[in-house]
Amino acid sequence: MYDMLCPGCGHRTAMMILDELIENHKLKEKVIFALDVACCSLLIDFVNYDSIMCAHGRVLDVTKGYKEIRKENIVISYMGDGAAYSIGMEEMLHSARRNDDALIIVINNGLYSMTGGQKSPTYIDVKSQNDRITTTNSLDKPRQVYNGFLIENVISKLPINYLARASLTDKDNIDIAKKYIEKALKKYINIGGFNMVELLSPCPTNYKLTPKDMIDRINNEFTKIYKIMEFVDA
Amino acid sequence: MKKFINGNEAFAYGALASGIDFYAGYPITPSTDVYEFFEKNAEKYNVKFVPTSSEVSAINMIMGASIAGARALTVTSGCGFSLMQEAISYMASDFVPCVILNVMREGAGLGDIPRSQGDYDQMTKGGGNGDYHTIVLSCKSCKDCMEMPNLAFELAEKYRNPVIVTYDSDIAHTKENVEILAQTKNNIDKLNFTLKGNKTGKPKLIQNVYYHDKNYNETLSNKYNIIEEKEQRFEEYETNDAEIILVAFSICARVCMDVVKRARKEGIKLGLIVPITLYPFPKNAFLNLPSLKKIIVVELNILKQMRKDVEYYTKFRYEYFSINSMSTCPTVLDILSFVKEVK
Repeated sequence: MYDMLCPGCGHRTAMMILDELIENHKLKEKVIFALDVACCSLLIDFVNYDSIMCAHGRVLDVTKGYKEIRKENIVISYMGDGAAYSIGMEEMLHSARRNDDALIIVINNGLYSMTGGQKSPTYIDVKSQNDRITTTNSLDKPRQVYNGFLIENVISKLPINYLARASLTDKDNIDIAKKYIEKALKKYINIGGFNMVELLSPCPTNYKLTPKDMIDRINNEFTKIYKIMEFVDA
Repeated sequence: MKKFINGNEAFAYGALASGIDFYAGYPITPSTDVYEFFEKNAEKYNVKFVPTSSEVSAINMIMGASIAGARALTVTSGCGFSLMQEAISYMASDFVPCVILNVMREGAGLGDIPRSQGDYDQMTKGGGNGDYHTIVLSCKSCKDCMEMPNLAFELAEKYRNPVIVTYDSDIAHTKENVEILAQTKNNIDKLNFTLKGNKTGKPKLIQNVYYHDKNYNETLSNKYNIIEEKEQRFEEYETNDAEIILVAFSICARVCMDVVKRARKEGIKLGLIVPITLYPFPKNAFLNLPSLKKIIVVELNILKQMRKDVEYYTKFRYEYFSINSMSTCPTVLDILSFVKEVK
């Protein structure tokens, strides 16, 4: 499955979790899968759900419009960190403010991966490694410091239903991710409202690491800043 | 039942008559009456209303609602319309229908709020990225504003393409006595492409048709060829024996109708063609006019945007003149004396 993704890519793991949950809960006939562009959009040829490829950063608007008309459908908003926190931040904030009925999966790898690995707002500078890994580094002049971007600091106080972060690295973490996504899905079905899970996701291709080193980097460096936990469970 | 209402209110009632299910929008002068109408009355008429954080959000919500089978509408002006271009381009590429009302305002950038027809090129030539057109319908009276939403949705659904309805702020804010059409109910399951969930085993995908249509080039060119051939709409006044013809839409068309009446009384063989579809341009209106020698294009922009289309579609066969203005509409006497000058 999902053969077009790079080796070690987190999208594959995320999709396998979603596929399994949808299968277990027998929801396939109700699912509308709305994806953002770039790496996310590669999934559209492989998913078995009615799907929409949205403009960059506009997934939450499109799903809001859809859900207003067909309340019985399970509309999954699936996007990367660029769409969620960069170009689509306004949509994210207002969707949270309204507590829209939304099930949101954000794949956070700290990079704009499809365009070759430029830093996104969620990137973290790591001093211990040779930091020439992204295409937008410039070592010989002052540059912007990247300390990550924590969505929990932004939307936790808004009237949302569920917000959690997990990581797609090893078995234990994937089990946690599965648990959080299932919880978000159940809340979305039973209560509605804004339910979001962010997934720290490996991108070995653009970090120029082996899949194993990439996972170590997430487990050792990313998680110092990006805490794996539930932030809002209303 | 008749009501004395302005063009924007007539458009809102017309939208109800067309059976709209969903309205998303952001207020901007001179289109705000429509936004206010739905903010106040959406619940009463059972229309879903979402006040959005920007025009970008509004148009993308329209896209989502259309994909769910709704008749979805957004209304905007000027720079708000510019913000919508990305999603309009997406919907054209994905073959998703929708209707957008653009009440034109003056100038580029922020401009100002007086009457204008400066968005002609942006609406008829694209506006967003890529290879596409939107069907553009113009209104010149409250009656047009009342009837146009239904035609707009029918064309949008027939060709699965965004349709833009447009008029200027004179039409938007001029009150006329108009028959209110009754509200109708849209069936959200009537269109084949609507996403409802994969019940057949084969998922439906909303993405640029380029990705799944092997005959993309043909599909695309056929679509617009058929639109250009079959959907030309125009009105004509006293054109049969006309030696001079005025071409004008929206408020200018109203003024020119009076000009023609006066000119005819003075024995001047003057006619008027009012394009209702700005895209496709109604080139058929100019067939079979044996006496025609001169064309005067009256429009509220400085760069002669519609004149270029008139010249092109009439194959540069006549002598062309322009009356252009910004902010103020030329009066009947202004146009009449110009006609006498060029006669």
